[in-house]
Amino acid sequence: MSAKAETLLWVMQRASAAVLGLCVLVHLGTMIYAVRGGLTAAEILSRTRGSAAWLAFYTVFVLAISLHVPIGLRTVLGEWLGWRGAVRSGLLFLFALAMAFTGMRAVIGVYS
Amino acid sequence: MVPRHASQTVLDVVTYIQRVLDPTLAYRFACRVGMCGSCAMTVNGAARWTCRTHVDKVYQKESLELAPLRNLPVVRDLVTDMREFFDKWARARGSFQGTKTRADDFEKISPGSEKRKQVDAAIECIGCGVCYSSCDVVAANPDYLGPAALNRAWTLVKDERDVEGVERLRAVAGDAGCHSCHTHMSCTERCPKQLSPTAGIAGLKREVSLALLTSAL
Repeated sequence: MSAKAETLLWVMQRASAAVLGLCVLVHLGTMIYAVRGGLTAAEILSRTRGSAAWLAFYTVFVLAISLHVPIGLRTVLGEWLGWRGAVRSGLLFLFALAMAFTGMRAVIGVYS
Repeated sequence: MVPRHASQTVLDVVTYIQRVLDPTLAYRFACRVGMCGSCAMTVNGAARWTCRTHVDKVYQKESLELAPLRNLPVVRDLVTDMREFFDKWARARGSFQGTKTRADDFEKISPGSEKRKQVDAAIECIGCGVCYSSCDVVAANPDYLGPAALNRAWTLVKDERDVEGVERLRAVAGDAGCHSCHTHMSCTERCPKQLSPTAGIAGLKREVSLALLTSAL
């Protein structure tokens, strides 16, 4: 892979990590707040259904994860298993699409 | 057993072993005063210059464990083949590329300029291979250029007289280059010259990213 493509992946992983740092804090803070006095599906849905703000937040969260995880996994596969090349990148691209699809399905599920 | 002496260095021990106990032992040294870097070996699991390491400092449980530098092919006993190490300096475009000839006047670089200060902080590398041997990323990815070659490239990226520019940035980017560094900082911890290749590699990451974002890469 070219120096340009490798650098782009690196920048995307760093940028998505910065976004995820914030998202995880908000997500954990919300969880701690939400579980006070028990947790029910109805309570979660009452917060997320029809809320454009939560839809936007979790959309950003899911997309950042879908970028960050496959790029990191690419490095792990290269360093631990010595697996490099186009097949690795192609499969991880499909993995990224699967993460984005399933994640967004869940986000839309709790919104609508 | 090797007799102990005051101020005895690990190189003294290795020399005693070869002269008295085992004349077939192969090892490498030259200056004995920390200038050439050729006596670097693994002592009790850590890469060091043996000439500048007192036995007192590393002595554990009545013994010393000596081994060749890690991440390099062993020629024999404590001697490693440094070719790949230095080939990587070439791959990182570690040669100065200027435009002036001997007929031109000297370039005037202020010692206080920001770029020159960054060069000064990294320039004293003597190529001993201690950082390369200590680097876990080299162990995981044999193509990785390593801390010394990248540190050298960093000194040239910050050299105002050098004109290699973006070509060098392309050479040090990517899977075999600066982006593979995990910032473990073993190179910085072990460098006998107290340099920080980690800082130089982080600088290269910044420069390469900037080149990408300005469409120069």
